[in-house]
Amino acid sequence: MAFKIDVQNLNLFYGEKQALFNVSLGLPASQTTALIGPSGCGKSSFLRCLNRMNDVVPNLHLEGKVLLDGKDIYDPSVDVVDLRSHVGMVFQKPNPFPRSIYENVAYGPRIHRLFKDKSALDQIVEKSLTRAGLWDEVKDRLQQAATRLSGGQQQRLCIARAIAVNPKVILMDEPCSALDPIATAKIEELIDELREKFTLVIVTHNLQQAARISQKTAFFHSGYLVEAGETGELFTTPKDERTQGYITGRYG
Amino acid sequence: MTSNLRKRHRQEKWFQRMGLFSLCLALLFLGIIFGKILITGLPAFFKTEIEAKSAPQHLLNPYAQYVDQGKWTAASDAVDMYYKNGYPGTLSPQDSQSIEALKSQNKIRLSFNGAFFTHSDSSAPEMAGIWGALLGSLLTLLITFLTAFPIGIGAAIYLEEFAPKNSHIYWIEATINNLAAVPSILFGLLGLLAFIHFIGLPRPSALVGGLTLGLMSLPVIVVTTRASLSAVPFALKEAALGLGATPLQVLFHHVIPSALPGITTGVILSLARALGETAPLLMIGMVAFIATPPSSFLDPATVLPVQIFNWSRSPEMGFVENTSGAILVLLLILGLLNGLALFIRKKFETHHGF
Ligand SMILES: Nc1ncnc2c1ncn2[C@@H]1O[C@H](COP(=O)(O)OP(=O)(O)OP(=O)(O)O)[C@@H](O)[C@H]1O
Ligand SMILES: [Mg+2]
Repeated sequence: MAFKIDVQNLNLFYGEKQALFNVSLGLPASQTTALIGPSGCGKSSFLRCLNRMNDVVPNLHLEGKVLLDGKDIYDPSVDVVDLRSHVGMVFQKPNPFPRSIYENVAYGPRIHRLFKDKSALDQIVEKSLTRAGLWDEVKDRLQQAATRLSGGQQQRLCIARAIAVNPKVILMDEPCSALDPIATAKIEELIDELREKFTLVIVTHNLQQAARISQKTAFFHSGYLVEAGETGELFTTPKDERTQGYITGRYG
Repeated sequence: MTSNLRKRHRQEKWFQRMGLFSLCLALLFLGIIFGKILITGLPAFFKTEIEAKSAPQHLLNPYAQYVDQGKWTAASDAVDMYYKNGYPGTLSPQDSQSIEALKSQNKIRLSFNGAFFTHSDSSAPEMAGIWGALLGSLLTLLITFLTAFPIGIGAAIYLEEFAPKNSHIYWIEATINNLAAVPSILFGLLGLLAFIHFIGLPRPSALVGGLTLGLMSLPVIVVTTRASLSAVPFALKEAALGLGATPLQVLFHHVIPSALPGITTGVILSLARALGETAPLLMIGMVAFIATPPSSFLDPATVLPVQIFNWSRSPEMGFVENTSGAILVLLLILGLLNGLALFIRKKFETHHGF
């Protein structure tokens, strides 16, 4: 099977400190891959390598390859701005812009000039909000400040904002950790629907969630990728005893 | 346990009372100062006039006879003082009697002293006004704004958003922070050296004054602007970067709009400080007696606080009044500037930067 993103022998250093050790992981297209592991094991670090959000970190050093559709995203010829329009990101804490709901979703298409006229932009906004399952809740108040939405609505708005630029891959770093169970359920449902169209990578501390929404799971431990495989298999018959220990709750 | 709790409540009450007490004390002093300035200064906005035909010539203002053509003519300084405060000064007893007589016939009155706002400095207090100084302040402040604003904001943006974190930058930052606390008179010395001795700009001009005050405001603007830029949440920048915005787009679309209320407040307040500044301007010679309002940035000029300083050193009673009057005008302008800063902050905050 061809991987949408293929990470090969990735080593990541924050200054002297090595955060990732020789990680190789393939992310299949149109599937959700869950990254799990104890706190501080390098899940976020790994995720941020996939759209070069790490670029802003001073003293960061990286070895290895991250291939998106076969092309190394750390190649000097690659434009980060272009890359990020193909690999979107949703963060742990909802972070809408302090603008209107409409402007939040329209921002990405605006900076990448993805539309011809106002009505085309309106369509992108409506489609993205509908996909994110938020349209019915906000269609009558698109000009209202996004910061006045509830936490769960804000997170769905952030997802709508990310899909508005029509990326190939969406990275999510614990997108539900600030949300209540109902909002979480909505986002999980949404992730399941989005999988058709996008390749999803999601970091989560919630193992049930990983089991519910992902097709592939990767278990990280202190900077090493311990085990990766089909979600059902990994949870029922883990090969490594560290994985076994983590998913049975012996440590974490 | 309960006694401990009671003790803590007592401490809190005591602390609150102390705070309230200090607040009352501060308000009291403020009230006394304002009251005093108001009482002394308000008469400067009025002048005594006499029905010209019915009064002896020497009670009229020697200058006013050429200016006032109507029935009412401005009274002399001494009469003005006597009518407003009952202070006889150089008036003879007969003069006082004739003023009392005019009073009973309603032939002497107070009227609005427009000259205080339209005239410039003069050696006669009743002819002196703040127009020249006001204009000088305006021109000076314009230069200050035009220099300190772009350079200060630019430096702050560079240091906060783009500068590499190395030891050179660290020393530059530390120096700027220290400069913000340097006494203003030293900036006057710097201005004297740099703009007058070195570049050779004309001495007491609005240009030199404005540049000097610009130097003084620069570090403060850099420090306040950086503070508001660094207060912009990183999550906001991350969101934009994650969507593929360039660093410049992040700056102009998100960081600056969010920091704008803080930046404008800082700039306005530092301009207000520059407006009230006297010491550095004395150093560059803006203390001269200047009777004609400046018509360009290179003309000799003075500014409002320096005018106040000059008048306050004059012995004539009339200048005491003028001093307080000018202080009132200065305070009014400063109050308006502060109000503007507050208004901008409130307006932008409720709109979340947009
Ligand atoms: N900017 C940074 N500079 C230096 N070290 C960092 C930086 N970011 C992360 N690290 C280190 O890298 C390691 C991995 O961090 P990372 O944030 O990837 O963990 P994580 O698996 O996402 O943890 P969590 O589940 O708590 O979010 C940690 O030891 C952390 O201290
Ligand atoms: Mg993390």
